[in-house]
Amino acid sequence: MRLLDIQNLHTTFDIHVGHVQAVRGVTLHVDEGETVGIVGESGSGKSVTMLSVMHLLPDYARIEADKLTFGDLDLTRASVNTFRKLEGDEIGMVFQDPMTSLNPLFTVGQQLMEPLRIHKKMSKTQAKERVLEILRTIQMPDPESRLKQYPHELSGGMRQRVMIGMAIACNPRLIIADEPTTALDVTIQAQILELLMDLKKRLNTSIIMITHDLGVIAGMCSRVMVMYGGRIVEEGTLREVFYDPKHPYTWGLLRSIPQRQGERQRLVPIPGSPPDLIAPPPGCPFAPRCPYAMRICNSALPEHRSLSDTHKVSCYLLDEGAPKVEWGGRAR
Amino acid sequence: MSEKVLVEARALQMYFPIGSGFTGKPRKILKAVDEVDLSIKKGETFGLVGESGCGKTTVGRSLVRLYQPTGGTILYDGEDITNLDFKALAPYRKKLQMIFQDPYASLDPRMTVSSIIAEPLKNRTDMSKKDKDDRVAQLIELVGLKSDHALRYPHEFSGGQRQRIGIARALANNPEFIVCDEPISALDVSIQAQIINTLEDMQQRFGLTYLFVSHDLSMVRHISHNVGVMYLGCMVETAPVDELYSNMLHPYTKALMSAAPIADPELAQKSQRILLQGDVPTPINPPSGCRFRTRCPYAMPICGQERPALLDVGGGHKVACHAVKG
Repeated sequence: MRLLDIQNLHTTFDIHVGHVQAVRGVTLHVDEGETVGIVGESGSGKSVTMLSVMHLLPDYARIEADKLTFGDLDLTRASVNTFRKLEGDEIGMVFQDPMTSLNPLFTVGQQLMEPLRIHKKMSKTQAKERVLEILRTIQMPDPESRLKQYPHELSGGMRQRVMIGMAIACNPRLIIADEPTTALDVTIQAQILELLMDLKKRLNTSIIMITHDLGVIAGMCSRVMVMYGGRIVEEGTLREVFYDPKHPYTWGLLRSIPQRQGERQRLVPIPGSPPDLIAPPPGCPFAPRCPYAMRICNSALPEHRSLSDTHKVSCYLLDEGAPKVEWGGRAR
Repeated sequence: MSEKVLVEARALQMYFPIGSGFTGKPRKILKAVDEVDLSIKKGETFGLVGESGCGKTTVGRSLVRLYQPTGGTILYDGEDITNLDFKALAPYRKKLQMIFQDPYASLDPRMTVSSIIAEPLKNRTDMSKKDKDDRVAQLIELVGLKSDHALRYPHEFSGGQRQRIGIARALANNPEFIVCDEPISALDVSIQAQIINTLEDMQQRFGLTYLFVSHDLSMVRHISHNVGVMYLGCMVETAPVDELYSNMLHPYTKALMSAAPIADPELAQKSQRILLQGDVPTPINPPSGCRFRTRCPYAMPICGQERPALLDVGGGHKVACHAVKG
């Protein structure tokens, strides 16, 4: 069943130097119990897409969409109150930096109890019991004494566990994880990812994983969307995107990661840098950096082409008359 | 790459006093680096990996003598530079350079690109003004920037371009040894490859020797000839790169390697993650004996009593672990 459905989402920030078109026509959906990855570089619009859905952006952000539904709820017409009820209850969020997302003035226990007290109207004792249960679920050592500690007394990995604890407190239907492990070391990252997968299995929660790390995606998602310049340039199942990618940007991303096995070869970087979204190129956002760019790429946005039920690519190279360019595989 | 050792550290020790009290005596000591041995051959890249707080950056900074080590010896080209004072170090400053992690913090926002790159040349008496200008122009081109970038300020550049400015500055005095302290971790994936290629080109062209500090294990495998793994101030394993990645012996190295995400769904499915319990202990009061024992799945009684020495198990592969005895 469709849990989240977004069609043609546009988010523009009106700032003094102009209009930053951070998200330009994003269409995506998440089914119940599914883990979906959104991958892209900084400024590609991956975080803004999710923040727009949650209405967590400042006033100067303009959000427009043809369709925006969560379950049966139409979010395009939802009031601020509806969003506040949704967040923390049906949708849990985990942000990148646990130190700035937790309130330094409240103990871990107080912060974990907050969603339960507000959304589930639990009494203090009930909430405390549930919090202890959550702390055990997220494998927090010594849960009783953690309740009275403040965020600064915890390590980065523990803080991120608390964030995840807050996100799952009310058994949400969807968890949006925005670079949840970027600030953490690899061994701690492995712990956190394992925890998320485990929770997903037990609670059948859907997860949207926003990250710039293709490794994180490969390890836990079933579908992936590649974003560039505020648009989804390619989407598909893990197999389709990792083993049969069709967009030159996806090729570039995969080729610029060194391989873990076999012969070392020179990396193939993507030349240039990402587009300026105040005045985005009229054509494909990747055209200025694309080695296969044709004349049309610079003048008009390519349509999304479906190669299978799940695999969609937006690139003129898939047109009939276009030159045949094959992905030579990753540098091995 | 020659067999000649250019940089060597013997039992390098860097302790930082923290929280000084009323008497001015430090109350606690943070043992950032505790008796680390390493040697880097001329023309090679030595990759130093480990988690945050393991002391890898401190080792890098000590080797170029940005810190005064509290113990041990640093040999550069056979000369002991451990205790040289400011003046005596001057000739070495040219040869030892550093590229920093954060290209946003390591460039002065009020200086133009050309003045940033020219700064290391400031005290050169053997160069005329024109020589210096020519050198700056040459460097700008060398690292892949455009000549009209020279008079711009750092904020006008992207992260990758700023890191190029940092590289040009490090190259200005024709150094021999460069410590690259996480030079790509602040950059996007597609830009990381650009910077790595630039670093490799420079090494080939000028025969540079690198200490490449990073937590990105696949990038370290890509760029390094020899790799050292650090944990909580100690070197736990060091070996030639292919040997280390195919035959890791220390339990921490195994866990670290298995935890790194693999950008390939099939390999990721097949790989077995070794999950370590808990967090890294604090270097203010590290565990006795082997520092990894509190998280080690194979810890034995001896691990708490005696610190394992870094022993050669053959082929330049050294491990510090009681469970691995050559």
